[in-house]
Amino acid sequence: MKRKLIKNITSVFLSVLVTLFITALLLIIVGRNPVEVFSMMFYDVFASGYGLGQAFFKATPLIFCSTGLAICFHASLFNIGAEGQLNAGAFAIAVSSVVFSFLPVWLLLPVSLLAGFFVSGIFGLIPAYIKIKKGVSEVITTIMLNFIVMAVINYLLINFFAVKATFRTEKISDSLMLPKFSDYTDYFQGSSLNLSFIVSILFAIIVFYVIYKTKFGYQIRSVGFNPVASKYLGINVNKTTILAFVIGAGITSLVGLNYIMGYKGYYEYGFSSNVGFTAIAVALLAKNNPVGIIFSALLFGVLDYGGLAVNTIVPKEIMFVVQAIVILSIISTDKIVESFFENKILKIGNNLGNT
Amino acid sequence: MYSVEFKNITKRFGNLTANDNISLSIKSNSVHCILGENGAGKSTLMKILFGVYKQDSGEIYIKGKKISFNSPLDAIDSGIGMLYQHFMLIDDFTVMENVILGKELTAGLKLNFPKIRKALLEIIGRYNLNVELDRKVSDLSISEQQKVELLKILYRDSGIIILDEPTAVLSPVEVYEFFNIVRNFIKDGRTVLLITHKLAEVKEIAETVTVLRKGKNVYETERKKLDIGELSRQIIGDIFPKEKIKEEDIEYISGKQKKPACVVKLERISYSEKGKNILNNFELNINEGEIIGVCGVEGNGQNEITDILTGIIKNYKGEYERKTDNISVVPDDRLKKGMIKEFSVGESILLRKKGENKITQKRALYRENEIKKMYDIMIPYPGCPMAKLSGGNQQKAIVAREIQLDSKFIIFSHPTRGVDIKASSFIYNKIIGEKNKGNAILLISSDVDELIFLSDRIVILYKGRILKEYTKEEIGKSLETGRMKFLEEVGKYMIGITE
Repeated sequence: MKRKLIKNITSVFLSVLVTLFITALLLIIVGRNPVEVFSMMFYDVFASGYGLGQAFFKATPLIFCSTGLAICFHASLFNIGAEGQLNAGAFAIAVSSVVFSFLPVWLLLPVSLLAGFFVSGIFGLIPAYIKIKKGVSEVITTIMLNFIVMAVINYLLINFFAVKATFRTEKISDSLMLPKFSDYTDYFQGSSLNLSFIVSILFAIIVFYVIYKTKFGYQIRSVGFNPVASKYLGINVNKTTILAFVIGAGITSLVGLNYIMGYKGYYEYGFSSNVGFTAIAVALLAKNNPVGIIFSALLFGVLDYGGLAVNTIVPKEIMFVVQAIVILSIISTDKIVESFFENKILKIGNNLGNT
Repeated sequence: MYSVEFKNITKRFGNLTANDNISLSIKSNSVHCILGENGAGKSTLMKILFGVYKQDSGEIYIKGKKISFNSPLDAIDSGIGMLYQHFMLIDDFTVMENVILGKELTAGLKLNFPKIRKALLEIIGRYNLNVELDRKVSDLSISEQQKVELLKILYRDSGIIILDEPTAVLSPVEVYEFFNIVRNFIKDGRTVLLITHKLAEVKEIAETVTVLRKGKNVYETERKKLDIGELSRQIIGDIFPKEKIKEEDIEYISGKQKKPACVVKLERISYSEKGKNILNNFELNINEGEIIGVCGVEGNGQNEITDILTGIIKNYKGEYERKTDNISVVPDDRLKKGMIKEFSVGESILLRKKGENKITQKRALYRENEIKKMYDIMIPYPGCPMAKLSGGNQQKAIVAREIQLDSKFIIFSHPTRGVDIKASSFIYNKIIGEKNKGNAILLISSDVDELIFLSDRIVILYKGRILKEYTKEEIGKSLETGRMKFLEEVGKYMIGITE
């Protein structure tokens, strides 16, 4: 475990270095000074509470969504449908918060979060069921469900729930809004960073514990590694597949917690701006380890806000390129570090292990 | 003239020395057997020859020329072919597609199928390989898949063929057939390196024998001077434990005999899959303290019986009664069914055990230590994934895991396939131990000797039904009149001949 950790950290660190190098080359090619761009970016993010807050704020939905996806990925379910699942859940959170607004806050909060979890979960249940019954790959069903979900939300929004002439729901009651960091400290003044950031970290830690320390987590990974052997180990493979998919999809609904209860107060069509897809990359970068996801989401958050910060001198799209390079380089450095460790460090590792 | 010469080969993995200064010469046009326990370094040496690993020091010469391979592709180009224990076939491709992968004969950009087919049919005819080129690999039995692997090697026209425990997956009849194929290799001037655990096979086919022990070349002999007793002593390094168990077994048989109760009962079980009848009115009783041996060529319904008994297959017809909730099962294919290779020994024990809801490293290590001592399992470092254990140790760990469950009914499916003598006798010991505890045991195997040695009753399975049943007394009587004759009789039933 210890050895694996050192190995992973080394490969992430290396790949970030490689990324910076390649990005610098790209910037030179387009005629910018990389030192200027990088220093501007890092200055904007790290020099002010606002920059840091915004980076954390951008990381929050990624942590939620990637954590949910990690559960699916551990079960070898390649869920590409997080974008649809999280939109369905967030929409359900916003709508139920408005519809049941007569309830007291202590009841309304869990009711609307459960509604979100439930609705997102359904869009995990459908592909899981089709996979088990008909053997259709979840990659296909979840991609298709993305379109269906967005169309259904569009329909429901326009016909029933939208505020006139907008693409958003009514605002939820102020008493449901989560406290912002800036309410307590001037350091984060102006940033939208809110309580859900802390919730997301706690959540990731809980999911980490479940996946790596409980029998249920072992069952999920066991099914992911080898479904046939899992049967002979007495694991109900179908049940585990369904649970992993439903819980994983359900957790993505919490993206709505950050946006609706922590930021805007309503659901807006297209609010997620592809978080559901970026989260796949975040989970991949962290090798589906929820604690690792916290860090890789923070990295993406920094890049995301950093991209906005340097928008005046380079197009912010450069940061998408950077994100892509991070993924590519982690995949390749992984192999290099792996073989390095197998050859050179194994001996030390063995000695450590034996003592 | 030597085909292959190893000179002072040393290979280390961490602080384990897998090959320790091994020198070895393989005569051209002969079968050279390499014997040794699991973990003795046989596979490592072969993988070095095949370019999978690179030696730390030492040299390899092929036909007198020094070579250095960077990958198996280099080895294949130099005329070396390897039959792995675990086949490297693509299930969804046909036999022909699998064979030509990596060496496509083309006419321009198009594959020249008629030419390839002609070449393959010629090889099949010459070596009696008996596989249909257009069948999908997923529809083939294990022995047929093995032939596809051989076909691949021959299609690439390898002059030096490495066979890694090829008979572990074969029934006695198939072994006979297989050795005939190998003899034809020699006739055609090829050289064969055979890795095996089975001494009987060495006697049958080897020209030269080398014994490796703990990474060292400890013994070498010629066919003329072959002595099985000496060989087994060399392999293990001390006493021959199989003899020891036999005494214990005899003690048990002559000891207490009480009226046993029935634990598992199968009545008129029929099962079909994709319109194919697999089990036909299969009947079986297993009493407590009894080992029932199921004997048969693979693919006659053995796996389906296991799956019905463990509840993995549910849509069968007939009655299944059982007086216990817990079933332990040691599946036939340890890599595919027996374990999650990414988990450590301790983790898999906790995962399998009921009521263990928290799985921490500490608890897993505790379990691992317990099992390691009791079952003498070699684990490279604490908490290491099962993938890193040698085959025999993996099998021991699986047996240990299943016995730990304290089930009243245990299924052992090919429990010693690909396992060396020492580990086999250890596993036999454990099976007998479970029987003596009063547990009901189903032993499925294609190793007739193993079945005779362990079973209280043997049933012979052919096309999903029982063709013949032997009680312990009948087995004993038959053995008195001659072992070979009995084996021949059993062999006939196994291929469906009832006289």
